[in-house]
Amino acid sequence: MAGQSQRLNVVPTVTMLGAMKARLVGATRGHALLKKKSDALTMQFRQILKKIVSTKESMGEIMKTSSFALTEVKYVAGDSIKHSVLENVKTASLKVRSKQENIAGVKLPKFEYFTEGETKNDLTGLARGGQQVQQCRAAYVKAIEVLVELASLQTSFLTLDAAIKTTNRRVNALENVVKPRLENTIIYIKAELDELEREDFFRLKKIQGYKKRALERQQAAAKQFSVEQSAEKVSLQKGISISSAHNFLSAAAHKDEDIIF
Amino acid sequence: MHLSATEYGPYLQNEPSPLHTTTIVEKCTLKLVEDYKHMLCQATEPLSTFLEYITYGHMIDNVVLIVTGTLHERDVQELLEKCHPLGMFDSIATLAVAQNMRELYRLVLVDTPLAPYFSECITSEDLDDMNIEIMRNTLYKAYLEDFYRFCQKLGGATAEIMSDLLSFEADRRAVNISINSIGTELTRDDRKKLYSNFGLLHPYGHEELAVCEDIDQVRGVMEKYPPYQSIFSKLSYGESQMLDKAFYEEEVKRLCLAFEQQFHYGVFFAYMRLREQEIRNLMWISECVAQNQKSRVHDSVVFIF
Repeated sequence: MAGQSQRLNVVPTVTMLGAMKARLVGATRGHALLKKKSDALTMQFRQILKKIVSTKESMGEIMKTSSFALTEVKYVAGDSIKHSVLENVKTASLKVRSKQENIAGVKLPKFEYFTEGETKNDLTGLARGGQQVQQCRAAYVKAIEVLVELASLQTSFLTLDAAIKTTNRRVNALENVVKPRLENTIIYIKAELDELEREDFFRLKKIQGYKKRALERQQAAAKQFSVEQSAEKVSLQKGISISSAHNFLSAAAHKDEDIIF
Repeated sequence: MHLSATEYGPYLQNEPSPLHTTTIVEKCTLKLVEDYKHMLCQATEPLSTFLEYITYGHMIDNVVLIVTGTLHERDVQELLEKCHPLGMFDSIATLAVAQNMRELYRLVLVDTPLAPYFSECITSEDLDDMNIEIMRNTLYKAYLEDFYRFCQKLGGATAEIMSDLLSFEADRRAVNISINSIGTELTRDDRKKLYSNFGLLHPYGHEELAVCEDIDQVRGVMEKYPPYQSIFSKLSYGESQMLDKAFYEEEVKRLCLAFEQQFHYGVFFAYMRLREQEIRNLMWISECVAQNQKSRVHDSVVFIF
């Protein structure tokens, strides 16, 4: 990928360096936390998957027994019992309630069933088959229990799946995009700062060099001067001004053509 | 398809496969209804009245069904389709129009043969708050008693055989009512009201049954009567699932015995009942096959003859 390790465009100052470092620390900590969350969610996910498999198997069994119980009822009490039961129903007596459960920060829905109101069907099949009707009823209540459980397991399965995907996306983003970018920015800032420092240093060194040479020249000049001075003194003692002679010579060579020496 | 070899063949061959168990039952019932109508057409008095008596039981079921359906505001057409075909009568659809029980009685039931049952045991206030099941059972009790009286009037071999069969029916209902009302809100007096006025258990057995609170107590009561003792001995203690099956077996045995004698109307009754049992067997077998429970087939099939 082309822009994989680009850096942010910032002014390379020391404050920015501090800010970037703080962000990098934050990103690292966030990454560790999210990874933990993702692991916890994945563990829950696997557990739920196992439970779903076993519940589905038991549901198959239970549905089989309950439909067989229904057959027994039909056998004993005649075929029309189904209709009379159906007609007698006004409202559902088994209802399902949903509530939220918090698992590792993810809100999962959970269903539970509760009985409300009494059924008037206690006397169904009074003359024939009452026993079978009650047994069939119990079998189907159990079937409903299993179904409700299965429903809540499956919804939490789906929700967890979505949550895990988002968390993993965030983890990967932090790991592969945000952190490298921040790190590169920091490296860049440091490099720039180093360069500036080096420039300064270089400038400093250069100036020092100049100053040194200037000093040396001065010293050399001063030495020459003092040598000449002492020579002059000596010559003066001898009666000649060398320097003026020198001066005369040099000056004359240039100024006066008349004076020929 | 084994059924195609029997008389049910033509009724089933037009159905597309896969054949659903309810379709099988429907078609068999249709055939039964047609046979019945055939017999009814060719009957004279008093056989025709006798034959009609046989269907009153189903009529009661249908009436109760439509009444409950109307109370809970269901569609009339749907209800009509769910009625048992043997129990249809002409004005059955008008049952749905009535708003309360008094109108119901006035408009409809007074014309049907069920009228005397309603007036005999139920006043109009009772009709309003009575539980549907209780109403059904009260009507059935009146019906049984009426049928019994009618058979006695016919006299001769009919009276003998029919009274035997009807007493068995009455006793069986009494036992079932007692067992099934254990633990429910049915009071003992109500329970006693639902027992018929004839049969082996009347009156002492009914007294004892009315106070029973437990299956074992019921068993204790029944074992005093030899014919029922054998039924109950087949069950182990505390088990009641097979009670219904045992009753069915006993009924089938008695119905078969009815064919031993000649020249009485009991054979018709026996024929209809045995046909119903046959349909029940068929349904059981087909459901077992459909639900992959072939091993349970023999649990509940009652062999006729």
